This record gives sequence, structure tokens and C-alpha cells, in this order.
Amino acid sequence: MDIATSRNGLRALRGFFGLLVVFLYAPILILAIFSFNDGVLPTFPLKGFTLRWYEQFLSNPELLEALRTSARVAAVSSILAVSLGVLAAIVMVRRRFRGKAAASAFLLSPLVIPYVVFGIALLILFFAVDTFLQSTFGLELGLGWRAVVIGHVVVSMPFTILVLVPRLERINVALEEAARDLGASGLRTFRSITFPLIMPAIVSALVIAFTLSFDEFAIASFLASTDTTYPLYLFSQLRFPTRLPQMLAVSVVVIFLSILVVLLAEIGRRVAERRLAVEPSTAIGGSGA
Amino acid sequence: MSGSANAAISLEGVSKRFGSVVAVREASFDIREGEFFSLLGPSGCGKTTTLRMIAGFEEPDEGRILLRGDDVSHVPPNQREVNMVFQQYALFPHMGVFENVAFGLKIKKVPRGQLRERVMEMLKVVRLEQMENRRPQQLSGGQQQRVALARALVNDPAALLLDEPLGALDVKLRRQMQLELKAIQHDLGTTFVYVTHDQEEALAMSDTIAIMNDGVVEQIGSAREVYEQPATPFVADFVGTLNALEFRVDEVNGDVAIMRVSDDERLLVSKGSGKPGDGFRVGVRPERIRIETDGKPTPAQGSRLKGVIANVVYLGTLTQFHVDTSTGASVISNQLSDERTDTLGPGDKVVLTWSLEHTWVLD
Repeated sequence: MDIATSRNGLRALRGFFGLLVVFLYAPILILAIFSFNDGVLPTFPLKGFTLRWYEQFLSNPELLEALRTSARVAAVSSILAVSLGVLAAIVMVRRRFRGKAAASAFLLSPLVIPYVVFGIALLILFFAVDTFLQSTFGLELGLGWRAVVIGHVVVSMPFTILVLVPRLERINVALEEAARDLGASGLRTFRSITFPLIMPAIVSALVIAFTLSFDEFAIASFLASTDTTYPLYLFSQLRFPTRLPQMLAVSVVVIFLSILVVLLAEIGRRVAERRLAVEPSTAIGGSGA
Repeated sequence: MSGSANAAISLEGVSKRFGSVVAVREASFDIREGEFFSLLGPSGCGKTTTLRMIAGFEEPDEGRILLRGDDVSHVPPNQREVNMVFQQYALFPHMGVFENVAFGLKIKKVPRGQLRERVMEMLKVVRLEQMENRRPQQLSGGQQQRVALARALVNDPAALLLDEPLGALDVKLRRQMQLELKAIQHDLGTTFVYVTHDQEEALAMSDTIAIMNDGVVEQIGSAREVYEQPATPFVADFVGTLNALEFRVDEVNGDVAIMRVSDDERLLVSKGSGKPGDGFRVGVRPERIRIETDGKPTPAQGSRLKGVIANVVYLGTLTQFHVDTSTGASVISNQLSDERTDTLGPGDKVVLTWSLEHTWVLD
């Protein structure tokens, strides 16, 4: 009998699933519970219900500024990453050229480079570039949120490619040829045919790239300079025990918003999918956040 | 040889290679304005590549393609005045029927009122005027086929290119669509270039058929010409069923070569330059072979072979007899089913006869 359908096998699978759920969500639950606890120390027994920590973080300008910086970095970097990812995916799927496998490996390599190493490398690179620019043109780019954006684009682009490629592969080339045949230029074909048809994957890719950037710590820590992002700020505040409950509160809000965004994106993706009714697909990365 | 004034499309020595594979080899032919032209051949013969070169999706490595006299060999597909019906229709799944059909006109920036008029008119031609708001996925195969047709024809192309358009339909619908396609082509007077591997379809629909094999155009002619006067052994074999018989010249009488099989059995074939001792193969179509029960008198002119029925295949209108002949070859004879064919069965001794004019030399 198949292990997945036998009685004991099923029991084991259910147990395993239960454990998985507990380890995934118990920490989040704990976080949520202590964010409402009327006490500085995150220890049981609970002391009582309060919204104090939420009020505190909402009136903490430094924290709000860090959230804004992260949102900006995540928005810009995810749009850039998906734009570049779309171009790369189209080339990988639609073109035949020598060294395609090598190009593919090259595009996806940031997946396996440790972020810390990559952060240092970018720091050194930016420093070198800036030295050069300053000495020859008197310009200075400097570090800061734009530098973080560049770092995040590099690390999130492979994910967007991985989401977009299978979607593109499922679009019959004949559809694009038909548009060309009916008089559409290359750009028009992309706008009228390819883009609407890969829209669900673009949404998924945006969500992935956004969340990846929003909570990325290592690269930002090297490049952010004074533009403190949300994870950097959070980490810096852990030194102060009295700030901890506030950090829990903001984390709960961020998690809740993330789940909401992913949920909406997934619903949108399904609606789009049904409208197109290209054979219903399994969620490609829609749950990647 | 080509480029004549009234040709809608002319190919002049067109070749196309994919890596080391030659897909099309020096194809040269004209497609007349308003005709139904078929490219017929087995899969991989280069017929689709030829069509795609006419459409602009492939560029010829050598030679030229002329569209109404203009060299379009290297013009991109969106700037060619031909439109294509794709094998799997390739309807845009995110657009309704109306939008699909309107796509080409929208790109040409046809004013809205005129656009609507032309689209609706074309939907009427393909009998889908009630379906304008449906999505392609909600239509049957035949309906999708007609949308694809309307989407291409609404642009009033110099030629309509069709790549095995009926391949995905079942037999009955196929027959019906064949008639409809032919009727639409007749009504609109548009030049159709039709790719198919189905020889029956090509014979039924085409004014002119080009038969391709291994990237080479083997013969171009009307349905009757390619069927009754095949230019090459491949054409003879590919179009219709063919009996091929080994022939050894025993005697030459004028331009008729004679093979004496026995006292009252012989094969005849017209051959300009034959001499006794020559060997080759001759061909004859199954429906040209009459089948008689042994003993009956047979006409003096023509070939005559004795044999024993090995197998009878009832095909409805036709009955097909597989006869083992005295030369050792198995010969197929198709007869209209009637009282006479009903009485014949395996093991019966028969005499096969056919006339000289329906026998030809294969190689």
C-alpha cells in the first residue's frame, strides 16, 4: 500500500504537517500575544491587555521613517527587479543563442551568494566607483537607500525570473506570432498579448521581490548609511529592553499587512487566471512571501 | 519561370536551412491571384517552413519571395499584407471574439465605426455574429476555427495563409469546414495558401497543389494532374493509393512495352525508349483495375493478370480487393460496391484488367 494513503502513513503525514504549522506559526502567535501584554518583559504569565505598544510605535518618528524607507526601497527595487526579470525571462524562453545555459546560470547565481558577502562586495564596489567619480567628475553617489535598491534588485531578480519563466513557457508562441502577423510591432505585441498573459506571474514576482527587499538585513546593513531601513532599525533597538514590546507591535502590523498583500495578490492572480482560463495552474510563487 | 504579372505570390529559388538540415531546397513557383493553392506533403517535408517564409516568420537563406511583385523576403511579418490562420488557431485568450477579430484593424487605426462594421460583416461571413462577446475558450473547435478565419480575413489580405487549419477537428466537422472554407474563398476571391498533409483534403479543395518531399517541390499541378499524371514516384505513391508492379520488357511494339507473364497474361505500358531486357516499375491506381470472375472474356487492349482474392475490405461505397497475382505481386482493386462485388470472396479466382492509358512508368 502507498505510504501516503495507508492509515499509519496518513497519521504520520498529518502529525508532520501539524508540527510544521506549529513551528511556522507559533512564533508569530507568541509575538502577537506579547505585543498586547501590559509588561516590558516577554514572559508568562501575562500581565493584562494593552494597546500602549501600538500607540508608542505609531508616535515614534524614527521607526515610522525607517518603515517609509523600507517601503520605498522595496517598491523601487521590486519594480526594477521585475522589469529586468521580464526582459531576462523573455530572452531565456523565446531566444535561442550560444551560451544560453551559461547566461541562465549567471542570471540565477545571486541565489547562492551569501548576502553578507554580497553586501561587502557591493560596499567595496560603490566605494571604488565613488572614488573614481569624485576624482574625475567631482560627483558623489554615496551610499544610502539608492545603493540598497541596487543591492536588492540583484538579489531579487533571480526570484522574479524563476517565477516568470514557467509562465512564459506556457504561452503558445503562436499567439505572439499571430499578433505580429496581424500587424503588431514587437512592442505592441508585448503590450497587447504577452504582458496581459503573464500578468499573474508579474504580480507574484512583485510580491516576492517586495517582501524580500522589505525585510532584507545583511545587504542593507552595509549600504544603507544613514537611510535606516525597518529591519536595521528593529535590530538596533533590540539593545534597549524597554523598546522590545514596541518592536513586537510593529512586527505584528507588518506581518499582518504582508499576509493581506499576499492574499490579495493571490486572489487577483486567480481571478486573472480564471478569466484567461489557460489551464488552471498551481500557484507559482504566490505564497513565496 | 516566375514573377509573372498576375501572381499573388512568387517564390524564386527559395532555400532555408536549420543548422545542417535543409528544410526547403530551391523552391520556385507562382501562386495566382485568387486561387486555392495547397502545399501538400508528409510531416517534415518543408511545407510549413515554406508557408512561414511567406508569412515572414522565417527568412529565406537564398532566393526571393515576391508578394504582388514586391520583394518581401526580408520584410518582417507585421509589414506584410498576408494573414495567417494558425494550426491551433492561436486566438487571444484574454480577448473576446469581437476583440480578436478587430485586433488587426485596431493596429491599422481604422476608425471605430468602420471597424465595428467590418468586424460584424466578417463575423456574419463566418456565421458567428451572435458570438461577438464570447471568449474563445467558450467556443467549440469549429467556431474557434471560424474566429481565426475571420480575424485574418477582416484585414483583406493579399493572401490568406492556412497552416493545417482543420487538423484539430474531427472527421465530420472537417468535411463541413472544407466546404465552408472553399465557399468563403470562392465568395471573397481571396488567394488561399493552404498547408496540409491530408491528400484527400488537398485534392478536394485546391485549384493547384504543390507536393513537397524532403524540402523539394516534386510537382505542381491541378488535383487531376497530380493524381493522374504524377511526375515522380513519390507523388504517385503519396497522392492516393498506388499499385506498383515490377516490369520487365519482353517486347516493344511502337511505343508500347510489353511484358508477357503467361499465354493469356501480360502487362502493357507506354514507354518512349524501351528495349527488351529493360526492367523498371509501373504504377496503376486501384480504381482503374477491373475485376472479373475467371473465364469471362476480357478486352484485347490493356493489361491482364490472373490472381486469387486474398482479402476483401468493405469500405461502404467501395469494396477493396487484395489480389495475389501470378507475378507474385499483391494488387489492390477498388470497385463500387454492388451485387457483383458482394458475391466475390477470399479464395475466388479472378482476372484483373486495366487499360494502357492508366499505366505509367514509375522509375
